[in-house]
Amino acid sequence: MMSTIDLTLKIWRQKNSDALGDFETYILRDISTDMSFLEMIDVLNEQLTREGKEPVAFDHDCREGICGACGAVVDGVAHGPDLETTLCQLHMRKFKSGDTIVIEPFRSIAFPIKKDLLVDRSALDRIIQAGGFVSVNTGGTVDGNSIPVSTETAELAMDAASCIGCGACVASCPNGAAMLFTGAKIAQLSLLPQGHPERKERARSMVTQMDKEGFGYCSNEKECELACPKGISIRNIARMNREFLKSFLLGE
Amino acid sequence: MWFLSFIKTSIGKKLVMATSGLLLLSFLAIHAFGNAAIYMGSKYFQIYADFLHGFPVLVLIFGFGLLLIFLAHVGVGLLLFFEKRKTSSRYDVETRVVENTFASRTMPYTGAWIFVFLIVHVFAFNFGKPEGVKVSMLVQQYFSGFFYSLFYIISFIALAIHLNHGFWSMLQTFGLNHPRYNKLISTLTVAVPLIFLVIFGGIPIYFMTGSAAGY
Amino acid sequence: MELNSRIPSGPLAEKWDSHRFQSKLVNPANRRKFRVIVVGTGLAGASAAATLAELGYKVDAFCLHDSPRRAHSIAAQGGINAAKNYQNDGDSVFRLFYDTIKGGDFRAREANVYRLAQVSTEIIDQCVAQGVPFAREYGGTLANRSFGGAQVSRTFYARGQTGQQLLLGAYSALSRQINSGGVTMYNRREMMDVVVVDGKARGVVVRNMISGAIESYSADAVLLCTGGYGNAYFLSTNAMASNVTAAWRACRRGAAFANPSFVQIHPTCIPVHGDYQSKLTLMSESLRNDGRVWVPKNKDDTRPPAQIPEEDRDYYLESKYPSFGNLVPRDVASRNAKEQCDQGKGVGSTGLAVYLDFGDAIKRDGEDVILRKYGNLFQMYEKITDSDPMVEPMMIYPAVHYTMGGLWVDYNLMTTIPGLFALGECNFSDHGANRLGASALMQGLADGYFVISTSIGHYFGSERINPVTNADAAFKEVENEVNERMQKLLQNSSGGPSGKVTVDDVHKELGRLLWDNCGMARNRQDLELALEELPKIKDKFWNSVYVPGAADDINQSIEKAGRVADFIEFGEFMIRDALAREESCGCHLREESQTEENEALRDDDKYSHVSVWEYKGDDQPPEMHKEHLVFENVTPSQRSYK
Repeated sequence: MMSTIDLTLKIWRQKNSDALGDFETYILRDISTDMSFLEMIDVLNEQLTREGKEPVAFDHDCREGICGACGAVVDGVAHGPDLETTLCQLHMRKFKSGDTIVIEPFRSIAFPIKKDLLVDRSALDRIIQAGGFVSVNTGGTVDGNSIPVSTETAELAMDAASCIGCGACVASCPNGAAMLFTGAKIAQLSLLPQGHPERKERARSMVTQMDKEGFGYCSNEKECELACPKGISIRNIARMNREFLKSFLLGE
Repeated sequence: MWFLSFIKTSIGKKLVMATSGLLLLSFLAIHAFGNAAIYMGSKYFQIYADFLHGFPVLVLIFGFGLLLIFLAHVGVGLLLFFEKRKTSSRYDVETRVVENTFASRTMPYTGAWIFVFLIVHVFAFNFGKPEGVKVSMLVQQYFSGFFYSLFYIISFIALAIHLNHGFWSMLQTFGLNHPRYNKLISTLTVAVPLIFLVIFGGIPIYFMTGSAAGY
Repeated sequence: MELNSRIPSGPLAEKWDSHRFQSKLVNPANRRKFRVIVVGTGLAGASAAATLAELGYKVDAFCLHDSPRRAHSIAAQGGINAAKNYQNDGDSVFRLFYDTIKGGDFRAREANVYRLAQVSTEIIDQCVAQGVPFAREYGGTLANRSFGGAQVSRTFYARGQTGQQLLLGAYSALSRQINSGGVTMYNRREMMDVVVVDGKARGVVVRNMISGAIESYSADAVLLCTGGYGNAYFLSTNAMASNVTAAWRACRRGAAFANPSFVQIHPTCIPVHGDYQSKLTLMSESLRNDGRVWVPKNKDDTRPPAQIPEEDRDYYLESKYPSFGNLVPRDVASRNAKEQCDQGKGVGSTGLAVYLDFGDAIKRDGEDVILRKYGNLFQMYEKITDSDPMVEPMMIYPAVHYTMGGLWVDYNLMTTIPGLFALGECNFSDHGANRLGASALMQGLADGYFVISTSIGHYFGSERINPVTNADAAFKEVENEVNERMQKLLQNSSGGPSGKVTVDDVHKELGRLLWDNCGMARNRQDLELALEELPKIKDKFWNSVYVPGAADDINQSIEKAGRVADFIEFGEFMIRDALAREESCGCHLREESQTEENEALRDDDKYSHVSVWEYKGDDQPPEMHKEHLVFENVTPSQRSYK
């Protein structure tokens, strides 16, 4: 049932990409435990606005856990303490009155901070642009049913495709790697027959782009898998490794 | 040429780590098999040693190959280690969600320990070997020293920890991850390092505890 | 204002074909000389940008997110309709057309809807080819389900994430074109205005949301794919940034707005739980298949649901609509829930909720069966509310979900400004007064993948388009206007916040006004009252809203303020449209127009038209024009759910 809690927030505030940031401490009282984490930040922002201070900038949009816009590191964990949950779906009942919550932006060399908790994740877009697609123009495609896909394969592809591109895997990885993100897309398209013609080229160009963006390597620590709000498995990284090796050993 | 562009990539480097790791693991397996002769007595161990040194050219080539693989493993490992340093301690609060990542987190350190150990070990049994002393006797001589034995035991524990993450990590890097075999893999991840720990670590204990009275 | 819908002549089934043949084409070698601006990268925008770039046009695409993959199309759960008839259950293009027209309560254009049904099949093929992981049968063929009360199984789906997967498919096609240079992508740009030169849309002025700079981009045509305006109500299932600004600014420049009061309200959402609530979450409609809706019989019954005995419960849908019961259509379910709550019988801490009880279904089918059917939905519900529907009844309440109204467009999807096109939810064309489940995705992709390419070719092939650049006076003028507007938004900020209100305060007030008076059930008196209240809200906004921060910086408050200012202006269109339509149809009940049994009564004699509103200036009421709807292939019938 609904109750209220008092909280101390330590939030990373940074004016812009060039400025040095620091933590600011805020006190919030009577926060309903039915609130979502982002609604709690809304309350803080209304409070700051009424005090004549600048609200905390943060990315968010759908608040249903699917658009991938939101995300912050809460007490050292990307998207906070609840497993398979985006920040917008995390609720304040997971916290106790008197808690101090430390909120930091997703950090990575490839994710420059723009302001406060708002970071630039366009590097992930550029990885997709490097080859995360099937080269097919609109029109002139064959009937959907002429490309049969077993349920098992469709399910595996869907598991991988459920990535929301939030960047939590990068934020939580000790090496700042985007392996889970990249692996998920490569796996999806290598599982499905539609992706086969370009699979070698795709693996190579996406991995090359990923490296170019400054993402780290994989030291197989599985942090990404647990931070992933969609529970995407590192099995997809294994699949990417396989695709990549094949592309180098057997590619033209 | 393709190899150069291959090892420039992040996954390429990891594949070098995994491949060299696999080769080192195979060497270790042969080494462990041979050394197990110690438990049968000095006579058999000496036969094994003499047999091995009956092919000096082969040993030389093998040694060089091993050195190269080892250097690749260490070199790329160092590269990855320094790259990692750039990204570590990013957050004010550091929380690791994954339990039991001790092995993975300490990979560079257990690796470094093994490196030091190997220098000592190779010097002791190879380059620095006193003239005219049989290897089988040398073993006994060294392991009668408490601290020397302790150093070896600690080193083998470090090796086991290193392998505990390394073995699974290697398979994952090669792309071997399948729900049907993951249980087997996770068993092997514990079993393989343990086997090495028992065989290698047992040797100093064998001598220290006096079980080697009839050696 | 002249409204020419440009519906091709000839039999219904041949209109699209003959239209494509009669449309002018642009030689492939000449296409690269034309630049097209696409605003918004949801299903309609991403698919249009990718398709036009594939054809060889130069495309500039804009989105207000950090990545084009985040548009709210991504949140659609259910699926996408297509007349494939894979299930051999009697589906056909005509049946999908008929269902859509009937679902829209005969307030949509026959020709557009028929074309939508025709291209629906190609959409599925296109998406499959892109690698969209649709659900499959064991034999490897595509799986279908029946959705939203349809009698045939024509809905394709990818788990509960169909919108996401379709959007990611379009996004991948867009990414491919960005990679090859066909599309230049501008992230984090919010469209502030459209630039009209010599009567044609020639570009946009956007705000760079990182630097705050006001930037101009010129082109030969502009596509608005900017979604719906449900957030006018403050609380809706729309994403936080969804707004009307692009469409509204186009409207102020001369694009007429059609049926602004047609808003779909979804009956099964998680209720509001407090003032701080930022948005509403939809629960799948399928829950009503097994859940029973009830409220306590007596007002102010505060007992927990388990302690309210059967005789004190009012299963109002079952008693009122014995044949359909809990499965009445969306609008009927929504309206009745609000009615019960208005009578003081609502439950929960706010009194704005009704129970959806699975107790009987669990008793009948067993826990396992119910969990298998609804387990993931129950989980989602429990995550948000901390209450387990297996143990106590779910609480639901209606919420604004989709806006059928939008910019008026002709058969080519062109607005009343030549060269300005509107695609997807942003236009009004296909859903009439109510949208069928799983049809929004279909329309967005139909417009973007298959319709717009013909329209653009025809426009470029038939119009003389003089060269312009973004340095021209017309652009500078609009830039100045936008800059002035930004400064005006900050005008109250110099003296500090004391005695002032926040943007959200005003937005909530606007939302309340629209929800209470221009929601599911409307009447003249309330609407006239709302029309009187609206200017007060507008005054309050401009006189006392406090916006922190600066205009030349990342400033999410000023973004929000600009959107709310436009919602307030646009609100007048919604209310006036509702006022003018003195009939009940589709999603809304006009209280003056109902049967003796309190059911919605449509008035085809007087209102079989699209109400098209023309902006006439800030000091003048908008002018209404009518596009009469002609039904040659279907006969409008009255709905009955008794």
